Amino acid sequence: MKRYILFILLFTIVFAGNAADNKGKIEVPLRFDRYYEYDEVVEALTVLHEAFPELTKLDLIGKSEEGRAIYALTINNKETGDELSKPGVYVDGNIHGNEIQAGEVCLYYANMLLTKYGENEKITKAVDNNAHYIIPVVNVDGRYHFFEDGNTPSTNRGLRVPRDDDRDGLFDEDAPDDLDGDGSICQMRIKDPQGAYKLDPEDNRLLVRVKPGKKGEYSLLGYEGIDNDGDGRFNEDSEGYLDPNRNWGSNWMPNYVQRGAGNFPLSGTGIKAVHEFMASHPNIIIGYAFHNTGGMWLRVPAEKSTEIPSSDVAAYDVIGNEAIKITPGYVYMPAYDLYPTYGDADSHMFFIHGIYSFVGELFMRDQETYTTKKSAEKEDAMEAIMRGSSTERSREQLKFNDNVALGELYKDWKPFTHPVYGEIEIGGWVKMSSRLPHPFMLQDLVHRNASVVLLSAGHTPELTIDVFEVKEIGKNLSQVRVRIENTKGLSSMTAQAFKDKLYKLDVLKVTGGKVVAGGKLSDIRLNKVSYKENKPEVQFFAMPGHSKVEYQFLIEGKGKVTFSYESQKAKNAVTTVEL
Amino acid sequence: MIKKLFSFLLLGVLIFSVDRATAQSEPTFDKYHSNTEVQQILKSLSGNSGAKLHTIATSPGNEPITILEIGSNLEDAPAIFVGANFEGDNPLSTEGALYFSKMLLDSINYTKNVKWYIMPQPNPDAAAGFFAPVKHGLTVNSYEINNDADDAVNEDGYDDLNGDGFITKMRVADLQGTLVLSKADPRILTNAKKGESGIYKIYDEGLDNDGDGKYNEDGEGGINVGISFPHLFPKTNKNAGIFPGQTPEVYGIMRFIYDHPEIAMVYTLGNSGFCSVPPKGGRKGGANMESIKIPSRYAKRFGVDASKNYTMNEVIEMMKKLVPPGMEVTPSLVASFLGLGAAVNPLDDDLKFYKSYSEDYKKYLEKKSFNTKTLDPAPAKDGSFELWAYYHLGVPSFSMNLFTVPKVVEEKKKDNEALSMDDVEKMSTEDFIALGETKIDTFLKANNAPEKFYAEGILKMLDSGKFTPKQLVAIMKKMPKSEKEDELSERDKALLAWSDKHWEGKGFVEWQKVEHATLGEVEIGGFVPYLETTPKAELIDSLAKTQLPWLLQLSKKLAQFSIEKEEFTELGDGVYKLELYIKNKGKFAYPIAMGKRNSQPAPIIIILDGDIQFLQGIKRTPLGSLNGNQIKKLTWIIQAKKNQDIAVKIESAVFTDVVKQIKIGG
Repeated sequence: MKRYILFILLFTIVFAGNAADNKGKIEVPLRFDRYYEYDEVVEALTVLHEAFPELTKLDLIGKSEEGRAIYALTINNKETGDELSKPGVYVDGNIHGNEIQAGEVCLYYANMLLTKYGENEKITKAVDNNAHYIIPVVNVDGRYHFFEDGNTPSTNRGLRVPRDDDRDGLFDEDAPDDLDGDGSICQMRIKDPQGAYKLDPEDNRLLVRVKPGKKGEYSLLGYEGIDNDGDGRFNEDSEGYLDPNRNWGSNWMPNYVQRGAGNFPLSGTGIKAVHEFMASHPNIIIGYAFHNTGGMWLRVPAEKSTEIPSSDVAAYDVIGNEAIKITPGYVYMPAYDLYPTYGDADSHMFFIHGIYSFVGELFMRDQETYTTKKSAEKEDAMEAIMRGSSTERSREQLKFNDNVALGELYKDWKPFTHPVYGEIEIGGWVKMSSRLPHPFMLQDLVHRNASVVLLSAGHTPELTIDVFEVKEIGKNLSQVRVRIENTKGLSSMTAQAFKDKLYKLDVLKVTGGKVVAGGKLSDIRLNKVSYKENKPEVQFFAMPGHSKVEYQFLIEGKGKVTFSYESQKAKNAVTTVEL
Repeated sequence: MIKKLFSFLLLGVLIFSVDRATAQSEPTFDKYHSNTEVQQILKSLSGNSGAKLHTIATSPGNEPITILEIGSNLEDAPAIFVGANFEGDNPLSTEGALYFSKMLLDSINYTKNVKWYIMPQPNPDAAAGFFAPVKHGLTVNSYEINNDADDAVNEDGYDDLNGDGFITKMRVADLQGTLVLSKADPRILTNAKKGESGIYKIYDEGLDNDGDGKYNEDGEGGINVGISFPHLFPKTNKNAGIFPGQTPEVYGIMRFIYDHPEIAMVYTLGNSGFCSVPPKGGRKGGANMESIKIPSRYAKRFGVDASKNYTMNEVIEMMKKLVPPGMEVTPSLVASFLGLGAAVNPLDDDLKFYKSYSEDYKKYLEKKSFNTKTLDPAPAKDGSFELWAYYHLGVPSFSMNLFTVPKVVEEKKKDNEALSMDDVEKMSTEDFIALGETKIDTFLKANNAPEKFYAEGILKMLDSGKFTPKQLVAIMKKMPKSEKEDELSERDKALLAWSDKHWEGKGFVEWQKVEHATLGEVEIGGFVPYLETTPKAELIDSLAKTQLPWLLQLSKKLAQFSIEKEEFTELGDGVYKLELYIKNKGKFAYPIAMGKRNSQPAPIIIILDGDIQFLQGIKRTPLGSLNGNQIKKLTWIIQAKKNQDIAVKIESAVFTDVVKQIKIGG
C-alpha cells in the first residue's frame, strides 16, 4: 500500500508541475474560475498583500498540527483610523478541510474590497469605516490533504489529530484507499446475482434497488478501499476524527456527547490560534464562518436549551432577511433547527467574543439542473441528508455532469481487481462534486456570498452623539440633554454580552464639569429621568440597532463640558458644549 | 525478557535509593511552604533517580505549573495522577502532595509497576494568598478579568480596614437589615425569624473603591483553576472564566493528561472527599441511556412512536437502517445525533465501589484512632478537577481532604436522652425496632426529622424491609437542616470551638467598631480566612502520615491483566479452536462504568502473532470491559502447524503489555 501511495505522490508531483501552467499565474485581481490548493491560497494572500501594502496586513496567526501556517489578512484604511477603533468584520472559511469553496468566498471578499477600493463607493466606504479580518483557510491541513489525497466530497473534514475510531489500539490505520489512483474515493460495486441492485435502464451508470423478493445484478460495496488492518471491516478508521467546529470553548461537550469534539476545548492548535486572534481583536462585531453545503444562513443558538435576547434576534434578522434575497434559495434559521451542536464556532463567537455570528452553508446541489421545468420545491435540508437523491434526480444530475459540467463531476465505472473482492467496478461522483459547485458556477457563488458580508459591514453600528438641549436651572447649574443614536442595524454590543458583562460596557462619560445628577431620560416632555445614584458622570449601556437614547445631566459650573461615548466595538463619538 | 528487564530496573532503583537517602536534602513538614519553596522542594525531589519534573504551563501571575513524575524509569506502565490545591485556598493539600511524593520516593513498594504524576501547586497565583500580608482566602489567579464590566479593571477589591491582616466581615446596623444576633452566641449573626425585624446588614471587609455603590465587586483577578474544567462548567460564575480551559493552567493540565493515556486513576487533594463521601448524585438533567425518547421529527422517519421510550440498542437498530452502508452506529453517535447530553450523576456501578471503599476508609481511620467526627468535606464543585477526571477521563477519581474541623461532641447523654444519627446509623433493623416507639420519636424529634416521619410509620416500613436504619439516617441527613431555635449551626459551633481550643480564640476576630468612609460606623469581625481548611503547621505531619497511605492502598486495586490459561482443541487437518482466558486481577473494573459510557479509556487488545490463518476471529481483538477479579474467555478458530510457537499479547496504552509464548496444539 505504501509503495502505491508513493507512486501516486510521485505521479502527482510530476503532473502538478505540468498542470500549473494551465491554471495560470496567481496575480491580482485573483481569478475565481478554479479552486486554489493550500499553497496557492497562501500565494494569493501574499500577492494581495503585496499589491496593497497600505491597506493590508498579513499575519501568520498560528500553525496546524502538521505545521502548516494559518494566515489572517487584515484590510483597513489606516488613514481613516486605527483598525481597533473601527467595528470589525470577520470572515473565515474552510474549517472543514473538504469545504474548500468557503476559502474562495473569503479570498473573493478580500479581492473585491481591495481591487474596487476607490472605484466603487460602497466598497470604499466599507474599507474606510470598518476593519476586515479574513482567514480563508482555518483547517489548513484539511485543505492540503483534500487536494493532495484521494477523497470523497465529504472526507478530510477534521483536524490531523489521530484517533482510534474503531478502538482496536491503532490510530487512523484503515482509511479509504484511492485504489485506481485518480485522486477521488469513489464507490465500489460488484456483479452479484444475489444483489439488491440492478442497472438503471435509462442510465446504466446508476443502480436502482430491485423490489423485495426479486434478484438483482449488483451489490454495492461502499467506498473505495481495502481492509488495511485486517479486521474484516473497510475504511473504518480514517484520519481523525476531530471536528474543528465542535472544538470551540463555548458550550463544549465531550466526544461521547458531541461526536468530533476532541479531548478538550480548543485542543486543536489552529483553533486555539484563531480564538486568540478573535480575542486580540475585540472590535469585531460581525463574523462569518463559511461551510458547505445546503444553502443556509445559520445563527445562534446551536442547541435548544440556550436562548438569546430578542434584541439580538432582531439584529440577526436585519442581516439574515436580506441575505436570503442576495443568495436565492438559501434559508435563514437558528442553527439548532438543523441539528444541535456543541462547541461550534458561531456560539463561540457570539457567547465568548460578543460577535453576531453567521454560518454560511454554501452551495445547493439542486442548482445543478438539467430540465425545462421550473426548479422543484426545495428539499428540506435534513430530508436531503437523510434520504439521499431519487433516481430521477440522479439521472438529471448525470445529464448536468455530461452536458454542462464537461463530465468532470462523475467517474464512469471501470473494472478493477480488488485484493479481497476480486473483479469489481469503481466509479461514481468524484471528490470535486456534490458539495462543491463546478468552477463555472463558482464566480456567482463567491460574489453573492461576499455581498452578504459586505451588506453586514454596512450595518455595523455607527453612533452619533448630540447635545440637543441646554437649560440654566440655577445660578451655577445647567440641565444638559444628550442624545445618542445608533443609525445602523447591528447593536453596539450584543444584548447577550451586556447581560453577561462579557467585557467593558458601552459608556457615556461627562468630563469638564461637576455632574450633580445624571440619568436616562425615559420621557422628554414629562421630564422623567432615572437618575443614577453613584457616579452619575459615567453611564453604562449598550445601543441596539436603529435605536436612540437620551440622557439628562445636571452640571455645576461653567465652561467647556465634554460628552464622550466609548465602545469596544463601535467607533467612539464625542461632543462638547459651552456652559 | 520483560521480567528480566524488570529485575534489572529494580536493582537500579535499590542501588539508587541508598544513594538518594544521603544525597538529597529532605523536605520537612513543620511549616507551610511558599510557591518558591514548593518549587525548590520539587526540584530537589526530581533529583532522585526515576523522578523527573515537567513544566507544563505558566500561570497568569508568571509562576511555573509543574508536575513531578515518579517512576520515569518505567516504560509502558499505568500511571496515577495526583493533583492538589486546585482552588489555592487549601495549603495543607499542597503539603500533602509533597509528603506523598516523599512517601513514594522513600519506598519502592508503590513505584514498582505504577508511575505517578504529582502536581502539588496547580494554582500558584491563588496559593500565594495564604502568604500575603492581608489574607482573604484567595482562590483566583492573576488572569485579568473586569468582573463588573465597568471602565476599570481590578479597581474594587477588599480592604483591610482594621489592619489585622485578615479580610473578615463588616456588620452594619441598618433599618433594612435582615440579620439579628444569635441568642446562642452573640458573635454569630443569624437570619431574623418570620415576624421579627432584622437589625444588621453584612458585607465583606472593604471600601467602595470605585464609588459605584458596590463593595469589593472587582478585586484582583482572576480565574479559579479549581472550577474551570469542562464538566458542568459553571458558566455564570465569573471566577470560572468564560469557557473551560481559558486560563493556561487548566489548558496545560488537560493537554498533559490527554498526552498521557496511561493515567488510569486520579487523586485530588483539596476540599472535597470522595474517599469518605462518594460523589453526589441526584442531579437533574442527566440522560438516561436506557430510556430514550425519539424527537417527533425523527420518529416519523424511523417509523416509531415519539411518545414511547426506547433503549439504546433499539435506537441503534433504528439508525442503522438510515445511515449509509459501512457507517458504524455507536451509542456516542446516537447520543450526539439525538442530543441526549452528558452524564451528570455517578453511574450506579461506580457508586458501588465509591461506597464500599468509603466504608473501608472509615474503618481504616478508626483503626488508626483518627477522629472521624469532623465536619463533612465540601462537595466537589461544578467545573472541578475531580469531577472532570471521573466524567471525562472515565477513570476512578478519588479526592481527599486532609483536614476538617472536629464537630463539637455533645456531652455524654443520659439514658433517657435521644440517640444521635451516628448511633442509629450503626444499628441493625432489629435493634432499632427494639427501641420502641417512644425512643424512636424522641430520636426523630431531636434530629429535626420532617413532620411526616413518626415512629409508627417508620416502624412499619422497617418491619416490611423497605429500608434500614442506615437508609433512614441517609434520608434525614439530606433534609434541609431546620435550624433549631436559638442554636448555632453545626459548622459555626465547630469553628468557634476550634478557634477557642486551637487558636486561643484568634480564629474569630471579635467585632470591633471602625468608622467606614461610606457606611458610617461599622463593626469588623468574624472567622478568619483559612480557619476551616488550614490547621497549625505542627499538625501537617500527623495528618498526612495517617491519611495518605490510604491512597497507596487504593492504588493496589488498579486493574491488571493476565493470561490465565490457553486451551487448544484440534478440529482436524491443522485447524484448532483456541480459547484464551484473560483475567483482570485488580479490584477495579476496566474501564469503570463511566469509562464505558464515554469510551475514553484506551482499549485493551489481545493480539495473536505467528504463522497462522484466522478462520474465525482476527489478529487484534479488543477485550472490551472486564470487572475486577473476573475472567473473560476469547475464542478463535485458526489454522496453523502443530507445535509451532505463537505469541499472545495483551496490549494497551494504559497497562504494561503481557506477552506469552504458546505452542499450537498445547
